[in-house]
Amino acid sequence: MTGWLLTSLALQNLGRRKARSFLLIAAVAIGSGVVFTGAALMRSIDDSMAVGFTRLGADMMVVPDGTLTNITAALLTVEPTDLVLDADVLARARLASVGRSAPQKIVRVEHSGIGSHHDLVDLIGIDPARDFTVQPWLKEKLNRAFRHGDVILGAGRDAPLDSQLLIFGKPHVVYGKLGRTGVGTHERGVFMSFETFDALAAAMPLHGGARPAVLAPGKVTGFLVELAPGATALQARFAILSAIKGVKVVTGDSSLSGIRQGLAALLQGILALMVLMFASMAVMVSVLFSAIVTERRGELGLLKAIGARRAQMIGMMVIEAVIATGVGGALGVTLGVLVMRLYERSLVYYLENIGVPFVWLDLPRTVAVAAAAIVLAAAIGALGSFYPAWRASGRDAYDLVRGEG
Amino acid sequence: MLVCRQASKSYATERGVVSAVTAIDLDVPAGRFAAIIGRSGSGKSTLMAMIGGLSRPSGGTVEVDGTDVWRLSENARAAFRNEKIGYVFQFASLLPTLRLIDNVALPAMLGRRRPVPEIHTRAAGLLERLGLGAYFDAYPSEISAGEQRRVAIARALINDPALLLADEPTSDLDEQTEIEIMDELLAVNREVGTTLVLVTHNLALADQAEQIVHIANGAIVA
Repeated sequence: MTGWLLTSLALQNLGRRKARSFLLIAAVAIGSGVVFTGAALMRSIDDSMAVGFTRLGADMMVVPDGTLTNITAALLTVEPTDLVLDADVLARARLASVGRSAPQKIVRVEHSGIGSHHDLVDLIGIDPARDFTVQPWLKEKLNRAFRHGDVILGAGRDAPLDSQLLIFGKPHVVYGKLGRTGVGTHERGVFMSFETFDALAAAMPLHGGARPAVLAPGKVTGFLVELAPGATALQARFAILSAIKGVKVVTGDSSLSGIRQGLAALLQGILALMVLMFASMAVMVSVLFSAIVTERRGELGLLKAIGARRAQMIGMMVIEAVIATGVGGALGVTLGVLVMRLYERSLVYYLENIGVPFVWLDLPRTVAVAAAAIVLAAAIGALGSFYPAWRASGRDAYDLVRGEG
Repeated sequence: MLVCRQASKSYATERGVVSAVTAIDLDVPAGRFAAIIGRSGSGKSTLMAMIGGLSRPSGGTVEVDGTDVWRLSENARAAFRNEKIGYVFQFASLLPTLRLIDNVALPAMLGRRRPVPEIHTRAAGLLERLGLGAYFDAYPSEISAGEQRRVAIARALINDPALLLADEPTSDLDEQTEIEIMDELLAVNREVGTTLVLVTHNLALADQAEQIVHIANGAIVA
């Protein structure tokens, strides 16, 4: 009963100063709308970057010294070689300038059972959890996680999804197919997890020579490396060559690294701006409710005099603020959705037309961001009004009635 | 009913401590009509606020109906004020956003001791008795100052208080309205037996009281 009474009083108080309530709701709507749109777009851009930029390849490649490498515009896979590195060599070096690193094993084989009898096939082992140059190119895949026994085919190979592929007589499942990259090894490759690769290695026949070193567990052909935020290719190259002996560093297009790092920094800046915006909203609500409490001292004193408990007085003010900021938050999210629709019809349409993928935040995460924006707006109302209400409710009723609280 | 012992109130100001009420001893038996008189600034409203649980005394005790008001916890004191004390202020003290019937019902709604239909029936009965039966749904801004004061009396009576405190309830009203308001307060005192303490500087009004307490410079002088 009291809850309804306090809510009713709060609603009536909001209706007393319609212009002020409207402005408060509008201010919170703008703030929440910016935060919601910013957060949703930021996540979308982040996801798109993850796909878009990783498709452009790694920043550099670390391979054994002496390896012959074809310099291509995009560093997507290592090249077949007899030389190997320890799989944990980069991790042991603990280099600050190195961000993500994806180890790969590659072996070029014939008589594998794929293609015609003498077809040379590149079997490439990847660590699915660390890979960032193969999976982003997946054009189609099975609707489940990549697992042991699965293979991913480069764009130059053809087999139906979920079909069985015999490699050296062992059955594998075609999990996915990659898009065209223009990088030969990538297009001809048959990709699999290290686990699958090692299991297959045991079945590979030897043709008069020694077993390739890369077939041994714990050995890799090389690493595809992404720079740490803020690091330059030169710094990373120097650090790698100083810390690890017997390696060669192949650098990709440095302008791409710069763009990716710049965008990542921009997204962090947007996040900081959103936090500041919410903080300023909280201060604004608090200042406004300090003024409202001052304006209503007499009424609060009267309520206290007729027996309102402190919690009831605070509750009334907080409910009033939560209703206003919650409605503002909901309006802001609605505005944000409209803005994103416009964005979708203009910039995203343009980007997709020129072949730049834009990955929208999926519906469950969009709903979660929207709910978070509304809840945060309401929480700001509660926090902003609580202190002034708490202070006023602690005063003597007589002081409040006389306007001295 | 009402017992004050050495009740004092002082304020710290930039110019030092100001004593508003000094060591007042007061006894008002149940059912009595007592008037507190004195000039403006004599401390009578401050004494009234201490009695009503609205302003904490700097020293001494205030007992209402056997309860030391200022020894209660904050919530218990709020409940005590709600249940035992009715207060009529010296100004229009209605919430502007509530209808008259809701203003009257408000203390009972806050007290949560009775069902809502019963509260509204009682509020309507009180408004009827005070001659405002036609204005249940009106808002305070739609009625006169004298009518607003009557609504405040109805509100003070909604919980059947043991003690009714009226702080210069007719200060800004014309003579005829003043008489009508006083008649209402006296009727409550005589017909229901509610103890009435009236603060006034109007000696003609005070003459109707059974007990007159004269305050000057924060102390009882007669």
